[in-house]
Amino acid sequence: MPNTTGVARSPQERARGRGARRRRIREALEAYLFLSPAAILLFAFGILPVGYAFYISLHRWRIQKGDFIGLANYTRLLGPSPKVAMLLVGIGLLIGAYYVWRAISFQSGGWQVGLRAILAALLIIGGLTLVLGADGMVRYAAEERTVRQYLLSVLRTVFYSAGTVPFQLIFAFLLANLLFQQIRGRSTFRMLYFLPYITPTVATAAVWRAIIFEPRQGLANTLLSFLGVAQENLPRWILEPQGVVVLLGEWLGISLPEWVVSSPVLSGPSLAMVAVCIYNIWVFTGYNTVIYLAGLGAIPYELYEAAEIDGAGRWQLLRHITLPLVSPTTYFLTLMGIIGTFKAVNHIYIMTQIVGLGGPQDTTTTAAIYIFKQFREGNRWGVASAAAFILLGIILLLTWVQNRVAEERVHYA
Amino acid sequence: MRKADSTRIRLRFRLTRAFIYFVLILGAVIAVFPFLWMVLTSLKTYGEYALRDPWPKALTLLPYRNLPPTEDVVVDLYPIEEGTWGGAPRSAQPLMEGRIPIEQVSAPVAEQLARRGEAPPLEVFILVADVDSEVEGYDTFYFTVGSRVIQQETVRARLGEGWKAPYYINAPDMERWGPQLIVVDNDPNHFVVRKTWRPTVMLIFNYIKSWYEADFARYTWNSVRLTFISVTGVVVFSTLAAYAFARMQFPGRNAIFTAFLATLMLPEVVTLIPNYAIVIQLDRFFERVLHIENAWLNNWTALTIPFMASTFSIFLLRQFFAQIPDELYDAALIDGCGHLRFLLQVVLPLSKAPLMSVIVLNGIWSWNAFLWPLIVTSDETWRPITVGLSKFTMEAAAEVHLMMAGAAITIIPILILYFFTQKQFTEGIATTGLKG
Repeated sequence: MPNTTGVARSPQERARGRGARRRRIREALEAYLFLSPAAILLFAFGILPVGYAFYISLHRWRIQKGDFIGLANYTRLLGPSPKVAMLLVGIGLLIGAYYVWRAISFQSGGWQVGLRAILAALLIIGGLTLVLGADGMVRYAAEERTVRQYLLSVLRTVFYSAGTVPFQLIFAFLLANLLFQQIRGRSTFRMLYFLPYITPTVATAAVWRAIIFEPRQGLANTLLSFLGVAQENLPRWILEPQGVVVLLGEWLGISLPEWVVSSPVLSGPSLAMVAVCIYNIWVFTGYNTVIYLAGLGAIPYELYEAAEIDGAGRWQLLRHITLPLVSPTTYFLTLMGIIGTFKAVNHIYIMTQIVGLGGPQDTTTTAAIYIFKQFREGNRWGVASAAAFILLGIILLLTWVQNRVAEERVHYA
Repeated sequence: MRKADSTRIRLRFRLTRAFIYFVLILGAVIAVFPFLWMVLTSLKTYGEYALRDPWPKALTLLPYRNLPPTEDVVVDLYPIEEGTWGGAPRSAQPLMEGRIPIEQVSAPVAEQLARRGEAPPLEVFILVADVDSEVEGYDTFYFTVGSRVIQQETVRARLGEGWKAPYYINAPDMERWGPQLIVVDNDPNHFVVRKTWRPTVMLIFNYIKSWYEADFARYTWNSVRLTFISVTGVVVFSTLAAYAFARMQFPGRNAIFTAFLATLMLPEVVTLIPNYAIVIQLDRFFERVLHIENAWLNNWTALTIPFMASTFSIFLLRQFFAQIPDELYDAALIDGCGHLRFLLQVVLPLSKAPLMSVIVLNGIWSWNAFLWPLIVTSDETWRPITVGLSKFTMEAAAEVHLMMAGAAITIIPILILYFFTQKQFTEGIATTGLKG
């Protein structure tokens, strides 16, 4: 090591320096040794598989490796590449627009005008390409069965997220706020709410399928007929492939136009999917409540005191202090919830076991179930990996959006 | 005036409190009710489930009241002849023909049976001959052991008020509410059968039945072993890694830590397929090079080793280890203590709480794991309880009361663990907020 200070060192100092250096090297080696078991395992079963999955997705791979076919597995799922490319470019342009928009707030004068123009252009072009690309894919999907199936599975995942995450959050926020009052038996309540989350999914999903959503003996229908909602034609829950909008229309006696009934978007998720959503809300509300409780505990109490002195009412406290200050928790839970619905396999597997995985009529086949079905039932590992990779892309994109939104909107206390 | 005001405020306060408790209790009921319903269903007979009886008779005292004491019944044996019942009166319309098991026999009987090439449990054919719905008590039936007809009596279904149908019409229910028959002596001419009633068996009958039908004994044992192995691995590996991240200096520390954290983002369905391919290749490698068959597939290795590196646990422990004051290490260093000794002798004893969280959380995740075990196990040797249960829910789809008993068997160990350790649990989740 060159002597940079220019001052001659005494032999002792040099020896001490060498000793320190040797100690540092020793410590680093020791640290790598400590890390190695976990690192090797994480690499082998966490990081390597991602690359391997990509490799598999570029091949025709049915249990055994087949020919290299490039992106054919992807086009099989998403449709022809130009449209998909348009969609991706559209997303890219919108992301670019976001960065330009960010830059505007740091610029002033002439620059700002120019940037605004660029922003407008990016937004318009990006939006257009996105819409055109998506439209092209949807049109193509009408002809191509594989593309339609995959896009429908993504749509169902969106339904699944929209049908679970908001409800989980609202119920959890309500319960956490109530628990946060001076409550006797708070820990008992917390423990009970958490119960659905820790018990094996396989067992609880079987319970819901067999004794709650069972059409004849099940608790849900017993309750419905007890409440006088319906006596005959009780809902078939997990066996019902019909969309909820259509079912509601039938129940209310409204005849819906054909284009609503036949549209996969407008007819809504199937009742089977709604049953899965209810189960999901039941499982995760308690978990979210516990996280919210931790978030509420982190809000400094002085803020409430100060606001109360200023004459703020209960509602204003909630609106202007609690909600903004737990927003990091809310964003975290939203992201985890959405990613959770993208990953969910176990409970759908158990709940739809009797009508065929992802049934009835594929209406609970979410993106994750689609992958699993391609993998296990179709033995198409290449296609399944491609679908998994697209899913990973969607999750990363969502995380990115979530982080940006969080940066803008979340107030960190 | 002011008094009226204060009572109104107090009333309002009380109403608010009542509302809060109402909502909280409603939430708790919704969270717990499916479990209660599961337990109730698991105690029902098939008939009770089908007739939508909300409360199983097994939970009332009815089946256990006035049970007769144990008695030895001497029964006469008649040699069997083709088409007859040894001269015994046979009803033209027998209410039931079926088999019941006789579980135990006395040593001399066992010897005799062994000579005939039979061993308990014996499947005994029974035939309910005459049933008089007016008479309380026992009806006569006949059963055959080997080539002999044994006259026997069966329990009457009408054990108390409110029984809907003669219960022994249904063979499984007969098995549940009927007496246990033990052959204690089989003199050539006088067969002595000991008749006892088993209230415990009457209560938890469905549990016993599903336990044997789905081989839950094996699945539970597998799950216990797998959970133990993977938790041990997680604790050892995570402690080492977390210590390195928290207390040691080395190049690339932050980059490696970020890489570790990034793996939390990966959904299981993405890594499932390549991991399965990797495990298959490892299995082939072990077979070809090391000549060990099934080293990975259908073995504990594939079921536990991939889960031993738990980023969540590393993260949780690192947070805690980083808070330990540096002075402690400096003092230990002067005493000539290296990192490993410091970790074992100072850090670990201080970290009981986070270690407990890691053990409990990983234990529960390992017990609940489903998708991966489903894929890498194709036989019973290491199949965990969740996969066993999912198989059982398909096989027993019609017998919901048995299925619920199976679900309860899977849940109960977790519940016990949770009730004793729920503090570590909720705190572990709340402080790191991971694993959604």
